Amino acid sequence: MSTAAAEAHPHEPGKAREAFRAVTRDVAWVAEAPKPHKAWLVALAISILAFAWGIYSIYKLLWTGIGVWGNSNTVAWAWDITNFVWWIGIGHAGTLISAVLYLTRQTWRVSINRSAEAMTIFAVMAAGLFPLLHTGRPWFAWWMIPLPNDMGSMWPQFRSPLMWDVFAVTTYLTTSVLFWYMGMVPDLATFRDRCVAQGKNIRAIIYGVLALGWRGSARHWHRYERAYLILAGLATPLVFSVHSVVSFDFATSQNPGWHTTIFPPYFVAGAIYSGFAMVMTLLLPLRYLFNLKHIIKQEHVVAMCRVMMGTGMMVSFAYLTEFFIAWYSGNPFEGFTFLNRCFGPFWWVWWLMMFAGNVVVPQFFWSKWVKNNNVLIWILCIVVNIGMWGERFAIIGVSLSRSFLPSNWSYYSPTRYDVGVFVGTIGMFLMLFLLFFRFAPVIAISEVKGASPEAHAGGPSIGGHH
Amino acid sequence: MSTPKDNHDETSNGNGEASNGDGELYGVLAEFDTPGELVTAARKVKDAGYTEFDCFSPFPVHGIDPAMGVKRTILPLVIFGGGFTGALGGLALQWYCNAHAWTWNISGKPTWSIPANIPIAYECGILLAVLTSFFGMWAANKLPQVWHPFFRQERFGRVTDDSFFIGIHASDERFDHARTKKLLEDAGAIAIDDCHRENDPARKTMPKWITAFIIASTAFALIPFAIAAKARTSKSSEPHIHIFPDMDFQPKYKSDTAMDLFPDDRENRGDIEGTVARGWLEEDDLFYRGLVPGDNGTQWTTGFPATYPDGEKFAVDDKLLERGQKRFNIYCTPCHGYDGRGQGMVPTRAALNGPTWSVRNLVDPTSVVATMPNGQLFNTISNGFNTMLGYAAQIPHADRWAIVAYVRALQRAQNATAEDRPDQRTP
Amino acid sequence: MSALVKSLHPDEKITAGKLGSSMMKAGVGLAVVFLGLSLVLVLARGTAEAGHASKWARFFYAYVVGWCFIATIPIGMLWIILLHFLVRGRWVTVVRRICEAMTGSFLLVWIAGLVFVVPVVAGYQDLYYWATPDAHDAALNPVLQHKLGWLSPGFFFIRYIAYGAIYVGLSSYFAKKSREQDESGDPKITDHLRKVAGPGMIVYAFVTAFVGFDVLMSLAPKWYSTIFGVTFWGSGCVGAFSALALIVLWVQRSGRLVHSVTEEHYHDIGKWMFAFTFFWAYVQFSQFMLQWYGNMPDETIWYKYRMFGDWQWVSIAMLVGFWAFPFVFLMSRWTKRIVPSLVFFAVWQLVFHWLDLYWNAMPQFDWYQPGNGLNAGPLAGNLALHHVGFDPVDITVWIGLIGVLLAGIGGHLKGNLIPVKDPTLGLSLGHEQL
Repeated sequence: MSTAAAEAHPHEPGKAREAFRAVTRDVAWVAEAPKPHKAWLVALAISILAFAWGIYSIYKLLWTGIGVWGNSNTVAWAWDITNFVWWIGIGHAGTLISAVLYLTRQTWRVSINRSAEAMTIFAVMAAGLFPLLHTGRPWFAWWMIPLPNDMGSMWPQFRSPLMWDVFAVTTYLTTSVLFWYMGMVPDLATFRDRCVAQGKNIRAIIYGVLALGWRGSARHWHRYERAYLILAGLATPLVFSVHSVVSFDFATSQNPGWHTTIFPPYFVAGAIYSGFAMVMTLLLPLRYLFNLKHIIKQEHVVAMCRVMMGTGMMVSFAYLTEFFIAWYSGNPFEGFTFLNRCFGPFWWVWWLMMFAGNVVVPQFFWSKWVKNNNVLIWILCIVVNIGMWGERFAIIGVSLSRSFLPSNWSYYSPTRYDVGVFVGTIGMFLMLFLLFFRFAPVIAISEVKGASPEAHAGGPSIGGHH
Repeated sequence: MSTPKDNHDETSNGNGEASNGDGELYGVLAEFDTPGELVTAARKVKDAGYTEFDCFSPFPVHGIDPAMGVKRTILPLVIFGGGFTGALGGLALQWYCNAHAWTWNISGKPTWSIPANIPIAYECGILLAVLTSFFGMWAANKLPQVWHPFFRQERFGRVTDDSFFIGIHASDERFDHARTKKLLEDAGAIAIDDCHRENDPARKTMPKWITAFIIASTAFALIPFAIAAKARTSKSSEPHIHIFPDMDFQPKYKSDTAMDLFPDDRENRGDIEGTVARGWLEEDDLFYRGLVPGDNGTQWTTGFPATYPDGEKFAVDDKLLERGQKRFNIYCTPCHGYDGRGQGMVPTRAALNGPTWSVRNLVDPTSVVATMPNGQLFNTISNGFNTMLGYAAQIPHADRWAIVAYVRALQRAQNATAEDRPDQRTP
Repeated sequence: MSALVKSLHPDEKITAGKLGSSMMKAGVGLAVVFLGLSLVLVLARGTAEAGHASKWARFFYAYVVGWCFIATIPIGMLWIILLHFLVRGRWVTVVRRICEAMTGSFLLVWIAGLVFVVPVVAGYQDLYYWATPDAHDAALNPVLQHKLGWLSPGFFFIRYIAYGAIYVGLSSYFAKKSREQDESGDPKITDHLRKVAGPGMIVYAFVTAFVGFDVLMSLAPKWYSTIFGVTFWGSGCVGAFSALALIVLWVQRSGRLVHSVTEEHYHDIGKWMFAFTFFWAYVQFSQFMLQWYGNMPDETIWYKYRMFGDWQWVSIAMLVGFWAFPFVFLMSRWTKRIVPSLVFFAVWQLVFHWLDLYWNAMPQFDWYQPGNGLNAGPLAGNLALHHVGFDPVDITVWIGLIGVLLAGIGGHLKGNLIPVKDPTLGLSLGHEQL
């Protein structure tokens, strides 16, 4: 993407514009194709079925009670909170791609950031279901809002990490939605104008309302760019803080395996790791099916593999530090917890999920051949997500199954409603993402154009720099 | 105004007169081929002294801001203010709720625990900064503004695709139709159009159905809030609505409630006539009431029971006295004091309000307590005397005897003489 | 997003000339004078401090603090070199040779560290509690027994040498290859270094964490924190980037690289200072808040010493000085682009980085003392007696060790001060902000 190339070629009339038109066309085609791709329809159908199963499970949960889940023993937090942490973690990649890669001037982000941001929003929505449902009486959730009431007024306990979660996740969802929407406005304007030109009036009105009347004014772009930069600058500490606050749920306790100071950055690294894996799980097939391979290029996929490798290594570093300090501290409970993880009744979670997914898989990405083999990458990314789910379960469920008093020890098995709610959230996530993919601008059209070499075409006085 | 390079569809003629209902001239719109040319042209327009103009592009063009003379926005400062306010607000909220209005002791943490209050303050700061950025930016840009005269140009529809435009408003001081157009042409425009305002009144106003839709949806959106407001500010004698009944309504009767199965409408059936609960017969006069047979019926015992009701021997030993001391300290000392002289906490505090009543001195050899028989003392503990209420409900009988024994010990101790010293005592 | 390519200005002075040797001379002078002064101060001291056997105890504590200070600077610079290759960065190239020179000081720094390591190996007991016979008393310190194999003078020494060898090896490899590229211009060297940076970063992460655990965390052997290695590294990088800013400015002052390093590059150095200031606050807060909240006595004792009595003022000074004040002011782009402002914040953060290390180490000075195996230490019951008491030796040793660092850096400031044939040089020279 160097400008050397652009400066080397003298401007040919219309060539730059052809490049811009191509970007618009290729991205808009995804939404404008008269009939959706068959694979998309099949995937949507499956996701709707999964979502329906989830709705039924949630109905059962609310009507009968939390007892339909398998955690009516001393493993009080099991699939519910594991899923919460897993989904929030997945959401983090989107914000990282949007915000952190923007701040570090990685221009390759422009092909994936829109989809990644959408993925974040749907993941956070899925995540938010779990703290809500796991309370058993979610209709009282509004008590966590500090409203004056007739019970005293009784105020929420703000010193609790669970309240911090409420604020962090709400802020995160709000920020993600606003950032995503803000980025979409110029592209919605593009869709609006195309619909006007094609005579699709109803669609034009809908896109037009959503586009707020955007007309590409340079004065607007100026404020827009400043706000975008600042939002990126705000989203970066936000994304670090959200998963850190989630890690505080565990680290502020006194349980062995939970109470350790490295949790905040370790959770953040793990979140980015699983998030990128999910981005690739979604985008690798979609870029193939929807002919977007020249925009979401292989070199971008390679870059994402490298990010996964880096964050996977950070996760492994945290594991090793935890093991070392568990021994160093001389705390017998801490030492037991780690031995139990590897050799206790849930040994298979550690070996088949955590070790396989988080320690072994990143090593595959050393190889250039692997980084260019998209089918293998896709499979590895699914393994990574399973591994990260396993890690959360190992921290939450396995630690609780072997806590301080042996009288508290129990084994946890999920019920079909545990599975149902989880599968339902996966279905909801996929369904929303597929709908987004069909109807919204899936790639940041204006950003891709702005990052292309043609964006500097046409003049020696490019900003007056030499 | 069209040049050979122009390869767009044109529905307007070269002079830019659009189809129907043209009002006054709004401005002039020039199209450019590349971002670089746009920047050059913008600089020329700025240098020519125009201020009421704008550039349009499908993406932010590098270098256009200095070329146009766009001043840096103060939005960042506003956002910083927003974030700071948010963080302070978050701290203030937590201080008010947890450290001031209703303080709770949560595992001994200070009610104003700054380390525990930081995460929420931080998130509030970021949230407010984000909201300020988002809404501030749109407000500063005066968007949404879904209509603009330039949209009347069909050519302008490509501004979000591949075209670059400069639009100079007719309201600019230096605007002169011919000269402005010439400037743009010299700057390299590939097409120049005149833009007129809409004149057709039917198209100038918002369609009625949109206005109706906005009003209706706003009204609908306010309904839940209205219901909530009414519920919060009115009283109702109706019971709460239970959406999820759970186990709120159970088919059982709670203690001491109304029950229409019985003629007296009571759930509480009281004691069954002619029965005594097992273990509650309390036949032993001596143990349960401190009475022994005497000349005229019964009289107070001067000793202690010989046995407990279950047959175990009643021993007046140090175990009994220890128990008596413990129970005395719990139940009797608030009034009678630890030394039995009647200077406990209750009369001391009552005395602050003036002379009210005094508590009996248990150990004074001249007081009636010194001479009364054990049984009478037992009876006083059980049933009270004057302002002292009876403790029968709180102290089991055995403990009352232990207290009696301890009071006797107290009386002995508080009136001890030199002969009572352990080394002086004869075994 | 622009990606401008420029070439080296024809009049640019890029060779170090006498620059390196003048820095080395200044460093040696500083070291000799101030370390000599420290020795005088110690020898002139009449008796040892209360609770300490030898009067060298304070000197060694100050030396550990000062040594951590000078070690973390090349550690931070090695990080940016590895990162630059790992992510195919662009802006760093212009200053990378200077970073390499700074990492060249590893050898001298590690030799300087022997001043406190060798006595420990030889049996000095007034520095690390785990070297005392009390630590081996199972009745007094049951919780230490299992780790005395790890925390033994011999193994400590072996690990110390290993860390030094790895740092020296890694940094000199990158520096050597970089200079090779000056001659050959071979772009394959860049590719090769990119490949090496991956495993290099992994090794670097572990070694850095363990340097923190071994040298600093073991001053309180019964205390532990999994994030300690990260806080050590984070604080170090604040200092490292601040030092980079100052050294690059000094190089430019001497007339070299005046066209190559622009305010764009200073802006980026400032951004890293800002980022690490924030990162340090984040990891420190994690450590503090989690141990405060969990309220487990074997962890909170460390913070109890720093939250009550005199040390609370140092803690507050760090919160405001190391984080709040620089954070607010380094947010704006102008504080990073205007030289006097950047110099001010660089010096400020270097001082506070030292204070951070001081705050990590010094409270233990009164805490673990011979004959007292209690976790609480003799003064825990009366924290008001626990004084901060800056000692002149703290400062003189620090400055002396800065001299050692400068000598080490100066020794490697030779030849080309810019990697003339690096393929990313053009992009680095043309670097601009968004």
